[in-house]
Order: sequence, then structure tokens, then C-alpha cells
Amino acid sequence: MSAPIATLLDDETVNAVAAEVWSALVGEDEVLVPGDGPVADGRSAWVGVEGPWSGLVVLTCSASATDDLTRAVLQLAPAEELADEDVDDVLRELANILGGNVKSLLPGPSTLGLPQTGTPPQPGTDVRPVGATWRGHPLTITVQGATEAPVHHPTTEVTP
Amino acid sequence: MRALVIDDSRAMRRIVGSILEGFGYETRPAGHGREALDVLEEGWVPDLACIDWNMPVMDGLQFVSAVRANPAWRQVTLMMVTTESEHGQIVRALAAGAHEYVIKPFTADAIGDKLALLGLLPHGVPA
Repeated sequence: MSAPIATLLDDETVNAVAAEVWSALVGEDEVLVPGDGPVADGRSAWVGVEGPWSGLVVLTCSASATDDLTRAVLQLAPAEELADEDVDDVLRELANILGGNVKSLLPGPSTLGLPQTGTPPQPGTDVRPVGATWRGHPLTITVQGATEAPVHHPTTEVTP
Repeated sequence: MRALVIDDSRAMRRIVGSILEGFGYETRPAGHGREALDVLEEGWVPDLACIDWNMPVMDGLQFVSAVRANPAWRQVTLMMVTTESEHGQIVRALAAGAHEYVIKPFTADAIGDKLALLGLLPHGVPA
């Protein structure tokens, strides 16, 4: 079993990764302020990391933040209507890039899964939530170790 | 010049496409490697393909191998644009036939620098 995430990453490093991603993807002048969070009723996207350290990198934003984020990333005019799939796509890509950059700081070699949106798996005890604020919206980046619970894969039952 | 932008994220296809169009490219999007191969097979052979690594259906590495296996597509320059930043992954992609590697997040300048390095900046476009 790998070292707990708290000993591998600190808040400052996660914030630095997030700030770089924000500047490149959301906008050069977009500032991510460390602190605040957690987001109670947010929308989440996450990506899995598998290797010596296995777990998830989860991005959770408030509903208002996700709308503003999508508009900023896609450079949409305020009057343009937002499609739900665009909001999910932008969240997924942000989680994907955050996850890839966090992965590069962890022991390797490791692989990155495909990003997903929805309700992320509950974290266990190996978790590092990092709060930040963007344009006044709180958001959380959570790096959480894989839980011990076995993953259930549906199988066809064979009866004798 | 033509570029195929292969990424499962619509946002990323839009961002990369818009950067390349700024450099004077005509672009076409594809959501995964298989869809990109379909574009090539229909005869739209680009000068450049920008390829994400982790995609459903057919990933970027499989796409690179498929393109390199077909002599008719030898002139296509393959540039990985991905979050995979481990040295071992970069070596795998280059060994499979990718020419360049850009790690997300990137800036338009970073893409321009790579295009200049590859000799793929249309004339008159500053890097």
C-alpha cells in the first residue's frame, strides 16, 4: 500500500497545479484564490489514477461556478444558452487536466482513467480536500485514495 | 494547411481548433481515434494531427500506430496533446511514431513554438 496522500501532496502544491490549469484553460487573467470550500451541493467531475498510489482527483463546483466556468472556457457570450453536455464536458476536461498534473507529482508509473461526472465515490480516510475560490464561487479539489471496498462488476450468473 | 483535432472533449477540440485556425489552419474535429481514422479513410488527409491520449473507443496511442502502419499517411505529422506527462509515456508515444508532445495545460504560444519547430507554421504567421 502506498503512503497516504497527505504525506505525498500539500495544499500549496494542489493550489499551484490548479492555478496553472485555470490560467491556461479558463483565462490568463483568471485568479484562483486558495481557501474556502467545501462546496455543499456542487456538481462534480473526477478522474481515476492507478499505480503505486491509486485514487481519484475530484473537482466540485457550485452550480453558478459551473455555468461561469463553461462560458469562460468556451468563450460564450452572456446571451448564449448553455447546454448541459457542455457544462459536463468542461468540468470533465478540467478534472482530467487537474488529475493528470496531480498524477505527475505522485509515485509512478501510473495510468489515468477517463473523466466522469456525477456523484463521486465517497472518500475514505486517505483524503486531501483543497478549497479555492474563483470569481467569488467556492470550489473544491479533492485528492482521495482508493477505498478498500471491493469494486462490484456486474456479471452474468451461471446456474448449474 | 489542414489539421485534424482528436480529443473526446468538445471544449478541448474547440480550444485546440481555434488556436490552429489562428495560425491559418483548416481544421476538422474527431472525438476519438476511430472517428479520426474514418476521416483519413474518406480521403481528408491532414498535414497535422493533434491527438489526445486517453479517449474512448480508440485511444491516441492506437491511432498513432494505425497511422504509422499505413504508408499512404506517411506525410501526416502527429502531435500528442495530452495530460499524460510521465517520461515513460512520452517515450512510448514517440516510439510509436508521434513527432511531438504537448502536455496539457498549454498556451497558444506553446502550440505555436511546436509548430515552428516542426516547420508547420504557414508562411507569414509569427510563432
